[in-house]
Amino acid sequence: MSITADHAGRRYPPTPVYEVSAAKIAEFASALGDDNSAYTGEKPIAPPTFVAVISSAAWESMFDDPELGLALRRIVHGDQRFTYRRPLRAGDRVQATLTIDKVRNRGAADIISSSVEVETVSGELICTAEATFFHSHEADA
Amino acid sequence: MSVVDLSQLTVGTRLPSLTVRFTRETLVRYAGASTDFNPIHYSGFYAAQVGLPGVIGHGMLTMGSALRVVTDWVGDPSRVRSYFVRFTKPVVVPDDADGTELVFGGVVEAIDDALVTIAIEAVTGDVKVLGAARAVVDCA
Repeated sequence: MSITADHAGRRYPPTPVYEVSAAKIAEFASALGDDNSAYTGEKPIAPPTFVAVISSAAWESMFDDPELGLALRRIVHGDQRFTYRRPLRAGDRVQATLTIDKVRNRGAADIISSSVEVETVSGELICTAEATFFHSHEADA
Repeated sequence: MSVVDLSQLTVGTRLPSLTVRFTRETLVRYAGASTDFNPIHYSGFYAAQVGLPGVIGHGMLTMGSALRVVTDWVGDPSRVRSYFVRFTKPVVVPDDADGTELVFGGVVEAIDDALVTIAIEAVTGDVKVLGAARAVVDCA
């Protein structure tokens, strides 16, 4: 099986609920070497690109979809856009829902446009994460 | 209140640049923090298998690091309204003590009331690793 333009519009179920924790925010900020005081203290917010942590579970639902025939190590992240309503905060309970927006097949590559909506369990939209992925067809060595 | 004085801000204003260094430790830390365990970010074997010149950094690590140019400048990261990057070149990170140095810069590209668009530059050596990178921040 392989991914084609016919898969545009496919929408996956929301990811399991993820609770943003102060500890994970601190770990993420530390991994970026970012000591901004907003990421510590009593009521930390998450670095803006922390949304990728939540989005990645939704990306995996697409990467692991057996009907698409994708392999993680043959996928390259082409571009990424985040549009924020508000920052993620410690204590937020969120889910991510991915939609395949567009698929183009170009020679040995598939170009996949996707969007992920990150919402709280009560339905408040926090961020939209739009990504383009390139998937190469080369057979595994 | 923003620490940015909008009345003094003009298109073309440069933000302070930022220099960071990615080593294999940086990549391992980011893999764990982000839960992105694609082996091309820690295994030379798998990186070679997909034709890469070596282990490469996570695009999201570069993206997240580059945004510090903006959040260090504006102070409050919650003012970031949108952020886009194109991953134009991989950041190869050798298995040594020095790793790879990246330099991030930013320049004010547009001011629309309190919404300020920053064009972000990211280079290692003379190679641009991000393209069309833009962040919009609310400086009200």
